[in-house]
Amino acid sequence: MQAQQSQVSTVSLETIEAELKAFEEKERERLGLDKPKQWREERVSDFTRSQRDSTTILFGGLTVMQDKLISSALGAMGYTTQALDCADNDALQLGKEYGNRAQCNPTYYTVGNLIKYLNHLREEKGLSHQQIVDNYILLTAGACGPCRFGMYVTEYRKALRDAGYEGFRVHLFQQSLGAIDSTEESGLDYSFEFFRSVVRAVMAGDVLNLMGYRIRPYEVEANATDKALDRCRDIVAEAFTRKKSVIKAMRRCRDILNEVKVDRLQPKPKVSVIGEFYAMTTEGDANYRLQRFLESEGAEVDIQPVTNWLLYMLWEHRSDALKMMKLKRTPDELAQLQPGHSEKSGHSILGPIVNRIAEAAIRYAFNRYAKAIGLEGYHLGDPAELARLSSDYYLDEVRGGEGHMEVGKLIYTVQKKKAHLVVSVKPFGCMPSSAVSDGVQTLVTARYPQANFLAIETSGDGAVNVYSRVQMALFKVREKARREFDEALAEGGLALEEARVRLNGKRAATVHYPAHREACTAANGIYELL
Amino acid sequence: MLIGIDVGSTTVKCVVVEPETLAIRWSRYERHETRQAEKLAEMLESIHQAFPEQPLESFSAFITGSGAGPLADPLGARFVQEVNAVTLSVEKLHPDVNSVVELGGQDAKVILFKENPETGERQVITSMNDKCASGTGATIDKCVLKVGMNAEQLKALEFDPGKLHHVAAKCGVFAETDIVNLIKSGVPSGEVMNSLADAIVMQNLSVLTRGNTLMPKVLLLGGPNTYLNFLQQAWRLRIPQTWAERGYEVGDSSAEELVIVPDNAQYYAAYGAVVFGVQDVGEAVEYRGLESLRTFMQRGRQARMSAGAGKGLVGSREELEAFRKHYAVPVFNAARFEPGTVVRGYIGLDGGSTSSKAVLIDEQGEILKKEYRLSQGNPIQDTKEILANIKNYVTEQGASLEILGFGATGYAADVLEKAIKVDANIVETVAHMMSAQKYCGDDIDVICDIGGQDIKVLFLQHGQVKSFRLSNQCSAGNGMLLQAMAAQFGVDVKDYAEVAFNADLSPRFSYGCAVFLDTDRVNFQKEGFSKEELFAGLAQVLPKNVWQYVVQIPRMAELGRKYVLQGGTQYNLAAVKAQVDYIHERVPNAEVRVHPHTGEAGAIGAALEAKRVVERRGHSSFIGLDEAIDLHYTTRTDESTRCTFCENNCSRTFIDTTLPDGEVSRYIAGFACEKGTVESKEAVVELGKERKRLKGLYPNLVDYEANLVFRHFYKVPPLPEAGTPVRDERLSRGLFGLGAMRRKVYERPFERSDETAAERRGKLRVGIPRVLNSYTIAPFMRSYLEALGVDRRNILFSDQTSEELFQEGGKYGSVDPCFPSKAALAHVHSLLHPKGNRKPVDYIWFPTLVDLPSFVDHTMANKTCPVVAGTPMVAQAAFTKEKNFFAEAGVEYLHDPLHFDNPARLLQQLHQMWGEHLGITRDESDWAATQGWEAMRLVDEALQERGLEILNKAEKENDVALLMIGRPYHNDPGLNHEILEEFQTLGYPVLSIRSIPKDAAYLRRFFKEPLEEGSIEDVFDIRDVWPENYSVNSTQKVWAAKFAAAHKHVAVLDLSSFKCGHDAPTYGIIDKVIATSKTPYLAMHDLDANKPSGSINIRVKTYAYSLNLYREHLSDQGDNLSELERSIHAKRCELVEKHLAELAERHKGEDAASWASVENAYHAYLDKGAEAVVKVDFERKPQPAERPEEDARHDSRKVGE
Repeated sequence: MQAQQSQVSTVSLETIEAELKAFEEKERERLGLDKPKQWREERVSDFTRSQRDSTTILFGGLTVMQDKLISSALGAMGYTTQALDCADNDALQLGKEYGNRAQCNPTYYTVGNLIKYLNHLREEKGLSHQQIVDNYILLTAGACGPCRFGMYVTEYRKALRDAGYEGFRVHLFQQSLGAIDSTEESGLDYSFEFFRSVVRAVMAGDVLNLMGYRIRPYEVEANATDKALDRCRDIVAEAFTRKKSVIKAMRRCRDILNEVKVDRLQPKPKVSVIGEFYAMTTEGDANYRLQRFLESEGAEVDIQPVTNWLLYMLWEHRSDALKMMKLKRTPDELAQLQPGHSEKSGHSILGPIVNRIAEAAIRYAFNRYAKAIGLEGYHLGDPAELARLSSDYYLDEVRGGEGHMEVGKLIYTVQKKKAHLVVSVKPFGCMPSSAVSDGVQTLVTARYPQANFLAIETSGDGAVNVYSRVQMALFKVREKARREFDEALAEGGLALEEARVRLNGKRAATVHYPAHREACTAANGIYELL
Repeated sequence: MLIGIDVGSTTVKCVVVEPETLAIRWSRYERHETRQAEKLAEMLESIHQAFPEQPLESFSAFITGSGAGPLADPLGARFVQEVNAVTLSVEKLHPDVNSVVELGGQDAKVILFKENPETGERQVITSMNDKCASGTGATIDKCVLKVGMNAEQLKALEFDPGKLHHVAAKCGVFAETDIVNLIKSGVPSGEVMNSLADAIVMQNLSVLTRGNTLMPKVLLLGGPNTYLNFLQQAWRLRIPQTWAERGYEVGDSSAEELVIVPDNAQYYAAYGAVVFGVQDVGEAVEYRGLESLRTFMQRGRQARMSAGAGKGLVGSREELEAFRKHYAVPVFNAARFEPGTVVRGYIGLDGGSTSSKAVLIDEQGEILKKEYRLSQGNPIQDTKEILANIKNYVTEQGASLEILGFGATGYAADVLEKAIKVDANIVETVAHMMSAQKYCGDDIDVICDIGGQDIKVLFLQHGQVKSFRLSNQCSAGNGMLLQAMAAQFGVDVKDYAEVAFNADLSPRFSYGCAVFLDTDRVNFQKEGFSKEELFAGLAQVLPKNVWQYVVQIPRMAELGRKYVLQGGTQYNLAAVKAQVDYIHERVPNAEVRVHPHTGEAGAIGAALEAKRVVERRGHSSFIGLDEAIDLHYTTRTDESTRCTFCENNCSRTFIDTTLPDGEVSRYIAGFACEKGTVESKEAVVELGKERKRLKGLYPNLVDYEANLVFRHFYKVPPLPEAGTPVRDERLSRGLFGLGAMRRKVYERPFERSDETAAERRGKLRVGIPRVLNSYTIAPFMRSYLEALGVDRRNILFSDQTSEELFQEGGKYGSVDPCFPSKAALAHVHSLLHPKGNRKPVDYIWFPTLVDLPSFVDHTMANKTCPVVAGTPMVAQAAFTKEKNFFAEAGVEYLHDPLHFDNPARLLQQLHQMWGEHLGITRDESDWAATQGWEAMRLVDEALQERGLEILNKAEKENDVALLMIGRPYHNDPGLNHEILEEFQTLGYPVLSIRSIPKDAAYLRRFFKEPLEEGSIEDVFDIRDVWPENYSVNSTQKVWAAKFAAAHKHVAVLDLSSFKCGHDAPTYGIIDKVIATSKTPYLAMHDLDANKPSGSINIRVKTYAYSLNLYREHLSDQGDNLSELERSIHAKRCELVEKHLAELAERHKGEDAASWASVENAYHAYLDKGAEAVVKVDFERKPQPAERPEEDARHDSRKVGE
């Protein structure tokens, strides 16, 4: 009986408690006694395999050529892809509107470019928010610092949230080539084949771009090179789409490029464009279309292939792994262990060996493409060599952006007389490039007084001032190129017309690029005649 | 004949040169008033008239300058880049010159000629100012207008280095803000101009030279250098100082001989263009002459206009009329008075940046009269005249005026408080809120005030300021820009809107800094946009600057729907139209209202506050109307007014006003710190005592930490004896060196270095820059060295950052990153050149810190910012570039990388770096590192203990503590501009991130919800708000923001440096965290070298106002908590009674004993509830953390030894 009573009272008390709880909530609200609310980021569900067919993968940010080829390569693997247009100043404005204040320009351009495209889907294609969120994802590269590149996803998320695309998925193409793994459930199959396709497309794009920059300054008929390159791009893209031989496609491209008529006897200053990765790679407003501007001012441009960036990433992994391998544990850690204790550590030499093999494979594949298209005498960069060259100035353990490479490239270019002028282009607000590399480059230019070096900052506006600075630097080196050319003629005792007659007689193919002796390509052409 | 043309940002210069002799036959220099093509056409006409014999074909033209681009082609002139042109001129005319400094309207250029030692060739190194440092000549022009000097006075002005005030010349807008402050403080015009000149010279020497020395002879070129004597004198003082500092011998020549200003300096670029033409190697260009230029002016410009132009401000006339009807500010008619009446009222005065506004309100708060006056430079004089006008207005009608009270706000309020004893001196933000509420109701959500210099946006909730945003220096000057634009085109600012509404299209300005906007304006003009279009474009940029740049809240709808626009700029209907359209586009149901007295909103607020204060107090402190009008005052700035209470010796201005009772009231202007506010040593001592008292009451742990981390406080035990057993491991690899690494632990004797090395270490002196991340690891660095036998007195940290330190050593850098990184170079410099009797150091240890230890868990990495990590390399470059300053001083510079997040790697690196230099064994180095970590632990413990005290006290007393979230080096008072002390003296204890207790048991209650929800794994996990968390200092900042958000007794002050790339991505995250929890929050982003006192002042005052409200809210909450418990208990009693009655009914006639047990159970339940009421206060007290045994045992006595 007593047990029954007690049960009754417990039940009743519970009812009272429940009623009280509801009452308390109301009272708390009335008295303004809410607990501080805590914000958390909504996690967005991932991209799964079952969604693959209905999902378009957006990506972009490399050169127009590479974006197109990657699109074809991924298309061949069964993905629906869409390369975003090259980011322009409208993208910058959107990036600034929806991004955090005080970001660097690549962030604004790339984030704004995505918002611009989604706005296009919403406003011009009439897609609903749900359709956009369900049917599109962005594939982008990531990093874990130390520059803001690694925080792009944070920025994408903020901008998407604020622009009304909450829930839009941003998928990180993990940068670690050293850690390839495959996840069955993921909509993106990070298989070896996936990486291989992307890397091949990047390399093919590099090779085509490099050819363009070698030929265009010397073309006789305006736009002939661009037209030829468009055809080449379609051919190579087709090869990727149909999974046909890219080498054969490259050979066909060589024939097409050879149709472009060139006059190599124009002494033009050669300008090496280095700097922050995005600013030096893009071909749009984000660097004031610098490469084209340089060409319009009568220069030949030496660009940095994206493949060098892949090599740099491999080098980073290898360099760190080798350093970690022989580290002893700290005294505190050892004090926990008894003498005689023995164990195997996880640091295997295999990692660096695989890394080396990957590097060799990339170089080999690149060189095959280069040979097929006729990209003569071109050597990919060597981050280890650049680290050695820059070691007195820049510690290679300081990472972010191009790390030690900017400094290394300047020294290399000057020592090897690779170009008359080095333009280091950096986006407004770039931490490693503007605030560190430029500071160190002043010491390099002091040690190498023969270096012609120009650092320019790109902010999206004020193009006139940037052009003016470039013109100023070009003025100095234009004369230098002409001098080299005259010296070559003098060495051979040739007059210009005479050289022209001889060159015509040689009937060198358009893709032929004279062997390096001086920075001036025209001068090198003369030396070949002698 | 060769024509050289230089089209600059403000002037056109032309020369006609004979080709054979290169002699100038004709020249002219004129301002183009932004009509470049027209002015050039005018000049060409004069040229052709001057040389009537010369046929068109005999001319060749060469054009240079920032405005030359679009004109080159139509004119048939060869374009020459301007620096090249100047270089050629100088090479031709001054072969003995080694450096050139040219200041133009918007550009500054430095050209250095250096001999290449290998080839003997003269190399030319050129640099132009960065985007952020433009506006040199233009800045001078604007400031001349502000100080009101005429051309004659300017010409006669002499440079006096003894009377200089702080002016930031980093950018034009910064400089203008400082200049306005100086003028408002009554500093004489000459001193203001001299201060500006000196600031521009110093800025150029420290930034534009990119760390190079301007070697003699130095040539000064460009308009300002040519025409302003005082500017020339500033150069002649400062340039030779750099030679002396850097040890360059320049012989006995005078500064006048070494720093020269040539005749015709303004023509150098134009002349150089011709010289280029003579040497020209490019294609020849055929001169097309005047007619071609005119055709271009008529037709070509339009064609060249960018296709990407935006829309005009209005679509149709009807739209415009409807808009006007709704938004035009109603015409105000001042009250009329009957003769003989006594008008009784309150005056409110707003001493703004460019103008002073005043209102007279009656006892009901209605406006009787408004007064507006452009500032003439002295706030007291402005006030006197305004008051005289108001008085005359009343007396002219035969009435008399009785002032019941006086309120002031704005820049001038402080000086008026002393001079005329105002009743209320309130901060502008609060004044604007009071005024807006009076006219637009209490339900306003957002107030947007745009004045000449500042943008203020206030967010309201329940009739109070919830939060606010103010333009910083980088977003200031918008109102002024509209005015300046009107003035440039000779349009009265009142007609701006009329002009702008006529545009069908508009150029798209990129929003942001006013200086950048002005650069855009110049470019658009060159493209051919008309006045109307430019006006429209600039008006459209205003809302972007307000909402995207200052407010930074992309979803405006979140802010509410009732907007009030006020401030003088709202008189400009073009600006209002742009704002209204922008707001409606984003918040379609928004109600946007323009304050009916938009220009006087601040003054009205001040008057209302004066009314409130006087009514409550019963009397006014105001000295009286006639007395104020007749006020006699003097201003004095000389040696006698200089502050001598510290080595800065700041120049000050004394404004003495003689009050009616004969008492003299002194306002001291121009001081840099609190010491400057008094005159005698006794007063300084008193001031010190008062500060000490306040500091004791309200501890500032940011300051405490800034000192503690560098102090010697941990007595390191002696090195282990040789032979003491230590554990080590052998590493070997199997499978012919290809297999996995095998590690075998063994014991061996500790290895000691020899006595000689130890003896040497005892004498070595090591200098460490007190900068950047040494604020985190200094205890480690000090204890590591001490453990190895370096005498603790021989470990020298540079001083805290100060203006003096930066001025002396900040001129070597070649890049312009965040201020902390630039200051680092000055710290290295100060260690290279020890002051006074300090002995020189043998080493400067400035390690490259790649990562740092962190309490935040589950992070991607703990990396430092790349700029901060790279700064030691930049310092190495800066001090070895021209000559090796380290070698010269006999100092070894060590900047090797250290990985603090990887202890094993750190040990290896430490020994690699110091092994040989200190002659130590690896064992010794490893052991010393262990001592370093122990020192770090003790510092953390000491700080956290004090932090816990503050937090407990705040909870117990239901009060607020202020948490500074910033990077560790923002503890440096030279970087945080001592903002925290302001709050300390206002009665708020200050916490640092490091001082927050890191005891998981203590913290758990603050992170209960996310822990239970599973969004975080432990209390140090921030992945619920930021998964991309690899920046060590930023993650700690975000964690601290989360802590503050969960702790209702903590308010936040967020500090961040200008250009901070690692903080930028967290702005949005911290905003979200703080906004969700409604934690009081003030952000001071964009901290830089200069201390923006005005801007700090208004922020501190406004935040203090919000904090005070929050304190009241907490106190109310305390009361409400008791009320809650009582009402719950009452409810409980009610429910129990009800239930018992029901039960009694149901169990009638049952066993009495059983029933008693039921009743007992209910009563016990009720007693428990009653206890809760009693305990409510007790339970609100903080619970002591359950500390682990070993933590509780820590020996805190070591701290402070």
